[in-house]
Amino acid sequence: MGQTALLNLSWEQRRKLTGLLFVTPTVAFVTVFFIIPLIMTIYMSFHDWPLFGERAFIGLANYEELGKDRQYLKSLDFTFRYTALVTPPIFILGFILASLVRHNIRYIGIFRTIFFLPVVIGLGVSSLLWVWMLDDRIGVFNKILLDFHLVPKAQLFLGRPNTAMNVIILSVVWKTVGFTMILLLAGLQAIPDELYESAEVDGAGYFRKLFYITLPLMRRFIALALILSVIGSILSFDQFYIMTRGGPRNSTISIVFWIFNNSFTYFKMGYGAAMSIVLLGILVALTGAQLYVLREKE
Amino acid sequence: MKIRSFCLGLLAIVLVLGSLPLAAQDDQINMTMWVRAINFQTQELVDTWNANNDSQIELTVIPSAEFVTKMGAAIAAGEPPDIASIDLIYTPAFAAAGQLVDITDFVRELPYADDLTPAHMALGLYEGRNYAVPTAVDGSFMAFNVDLFEQAGLDPDNPPSTWDEVLEAARAVSALGDDIYGYWFSGACAGCNAFTFLPFIWASGGDVLSDDYATATIAEDPLVREALELYNTIWEEGLTPEGASIDNGSNFVSAFTGGNIGMAPLGNFALSLFQNDHPDLNFDIFHIPGKEGGAASFGGGDVIAIPAGTEHAEEAWRFIAWTLTDEPQIEIYAANGQIPVRLALVDNKYFEGDERQSIAASALAVGHTPYTTVYNDLFNDPNGPWLEMLQIAILDGDIDGAIELGQERFTQIMEG
Amino acid sequence: MATSSMQADPTGLSQQEIRRLRRRALLALRYLILVVLALLFLFPILWSFINSIKLPSEALAVPPTYLPTEVSIKNYEELTTYGKIGIAQHVYNSTVVALITVAGSIVLSTLGGYGFARFNFPGKNVLFIMVLSTLMIPFQSILIPLFVMIVQVDLHDTLFGLALVYITFQLPFGIFLMRNSFLAVPHEIEESALLDGCSSLSVLYRLMLRLVMPGIVTVAIYAFINSWNEFLAALIFMSDQDNFTLPVFLTTIRYGIWGDVNWGALQAGVIVSIIPSLAIFLALQRYYMDGLMGGAVKN
Repeated sequence: MGQTALLNLSWEQRRKLTGLLFVTPTVAFVTVFFIIPLIMTIYMSFHDWPLFGERAFIGLANYEELGKDRQYLKSLDFTFRYTALVTPPIFILGFILASLVRHNIRYIGIFRTIFFLPVVIGLGVSSLLWVWMLDDRIGVFNKILLDFHLVPKAQLFLGRPNTAMNVIILSVVWKTVGFTMILLLAGLQAIPDELYESAEVDGAGYFRKLFYITLPLMRRFIALALILSVIGSILSFDQFYIMTRGGPRNSTISIVFWIFNNSFTYFKMGYGAAMSIVLLGILVALTGAQLYVLREKE
Repeated sequence: MKIRSFCLGLLAIVLVLGSLPLAAQDDQINMTMWVRAINFQTQELVDTWNANNDSQIELTVIPSAEFVTKMGAAIAAGEPPDIASIDLIYTPAFAAAGQLVDITDFVRELPYADDLTPAHMALGLYEGRNYAVPTAVDGSFMAFNVDLFEQAGLDPDNPPSTWDEVLEAARAVSALGDDIYGYWFSGACAGCNAFTFLPFIWASGGDVLSDDYATATIAEDPLVREALELYNTIWEEGLTPEGASIDNGSNFVSAFTGGNIGMAPLGNFALSLFQNDHPDLNFDIFHIPGKEGGAASFGGGDVIAIPAGTEHAEEAWRFIAWTLTDEPQIEIYAANGQIPVRLALVDNKYFEGDERQSIAASALAVGHTPYTTVYNDLFNDPNGPWLEMLQIAILDGDIDGAIELGQERFTQIMEG
Repeated sequence: MATSSMQADPTGLSQQEIRRLRRRALLALRYLILVVLALLFLFPILWSFINSIKLPSEALAVPPTYLPTEVSIKNYEELTTYGKIGIAQHVYNSTVVALITVAGSIVLSTLGGYGFARFNFPGKNVLFIMVLSTLMIPFQSILIPLFVMIVQVDLHDTLFGLALVYITFQLPFGIFLMRNSFLAVPHEIEESALLDGCSSLSVLYRLMLRLVMPGIVTVAIYAFINSWNEFLAALIFMSDQDNFTLPVFLTTIRYGIWGDVNWGALQAGVIVSIIPSLAIFLALQRYYMDGLMGGAVKN
């Protein structure tokens, strides 16, 4: 029956069907490996659900507890502060790097590769690498600082909340900026040179070209890079888990860190699930807002 | 359409049939075993077993920090291993949740059941039933650098035996030079300090938990305060490197192997490590002392248990019982510098002549381990109350505040 | 600018020469900045490499030495025999998982991105947001349900099952990027082909694929890096040590119970784990540049 029915469809209807077919594999994957587990997570969030042992339905109690959980609120605050601090350097440096390697001058491939190199290292491994370099005894940073008499004694970079935040940001920028660079580079290279040439003929300077040509035409790429970067920062876990373990004095416990702790250290899976659902809501709202701000004005 | 669904049905039948013979052939018992990534000789145990038995064991080494996460996930999904070597402090939690096979009857048949390390047996007990037996013993003790002791005019043959002597020795070694320090502790490592700091309190007759492990005694036991003061003095006088305050365990051992640290409380695992990787390190060990003398040790290490749900409980027990027999205990454990889990075997041909091994082994006699299902939340969690209390007391010097906070948070967790 | 060019030039250089000199100076400055930045970016990796070829004991020295007193491959040797099976098997596992993930991500993202960019169908926006929302949940929170699913379809402890999960987590980025790439291609190119009677699939295959190649390559690189480095799911889903991927293996290098790290071996492991990702990037980079240089996007 399928054959004849298909033939009877109008061109418009066939386009609709074709479009659906194109996205079906993706939707199937997302349904099986994301939507179903997500529904299970929502279900878990209404239960007292130890990692092993007896489970019990407790309604909204997990959600009610969130408001009383001091560490949860502290973690939310910390995570947003971290995101606000880490995003601008990634973006500004990413854009500078992309601009620097944009044109195909000689050896530029080498530089692109070098800037991208840290991206290929896992965040876990890179965090370990930085802990090691920042160490006061065997770390190279202190070795250099001491050899050049820039500091009187070895610095404990991860020992104080402020410096810990700064060096973690430094390590994350190093690790991720290459990726932002590549995305922005793709955007930059999609802009025809002729546009710049004609703007130069009109006497436009660097900043006018930047604000009237470059940024608007790169909007889609900027949106992608920004959304990925913000979501990645809000969901960050590895760098805190490995570099500070939440210290000093529990000052660097990100929200996902706290979810992980509750689910896998305190075995309160249901409570962890409730936190995840709230976090999902926050991220959906935030991403929606970003997409709205960066939308195409057509 | 009809033909297609027929084909699909046929395919399904073929697939099902295809998978059947595999299951039917399987009369040989294949078991899985998990162990956390530590320095114990589990692989050699398993290899020896596999070479001499019909049943085969496949060993998987799990990264230590994620062992419980992985066990929990496996249990939740109904896929636990047949045998598990578990950090002994987690045994009450697993047993209480009904996740381990009751092996009381098996244990009763063991001729040397009473000879097994008491700390491990106690942790394997839940409501009077046995759920685990010892498989790896790791007691804490103090390691000291013999060369530095000699340079500082201390007698390496008479190491400190009271808190004051520890402090004096630390001062003497620290006085040797700018880059030389008398003492090391990993100030941002929760587990390390449960393992090495609690014995200071125990050896003096104090404790942070009541005898029945039901309540916290941090605020009422004066020895807790005095032990905190001891470490606070070490910290404030600069007898330990400043970096110790932020070490999360990465330098727990390597700080001492650097050669500029006088004393560091460590455990059995460090002995074979030093001997293999740092043969030039001139070190000796002594018991962690009490305030006026005495000695204590944290009875750490692993127990071996059978997770609930396995089809091979009997065979798993056959393996476990074998690991406790003389041959593996001496030829695999002792031969590799690992302490046997049967006290009677501690005096063996491999340990003769190495006084350090016998001191380490004798730490077992004074070994103690807190029994609580919330051990992890209290002591091991880097974000938990134990580490927070230590840091506030030792590093910030606010001992009153630390004790108050510790008592409050311990009580909160223990009351659930 | 305008006034300076009006003035008489005391050096007697023509305006053209001045412009050329200025351009050269700017280029030199650009290279200078590039070199300085490159050195800063390279430093941690170089430092890791230098330490990986020290003797294991020297890699732990306090204070550290700048250069090895003796070059040694002992740290690397240690890796080949580490654990039960050594590093080779784990590199192989990671490679298999990464390649399946890359292939799957490319196919699904290209098809899906094309569908979302060029077609209108009921529920399109809802489905698109559903795919994107995958990005917004901490992976740790659906780990247990996901594991239960994988066990139920009997794919736990298989490299393939792990790759399926990884593909899912590449999709939001892949779909978003490919949709953008397809949107950037002018409609006319495709319409003329469609009017010529080509089917949608052959338009995609014959015409569009070339035009969106930079996007595809970016998806591939992203998928490779993420699956190559992922740790937690790899640990949870794999029970047989022979199936462990490289990051799980590297974690076991921390010996001792309390997280003590064998730094020398770890640095060697870092270097080994960087090489394949780097090779992929280098290999694809040429392709990526070719795709751009082909002028497809610019026209």
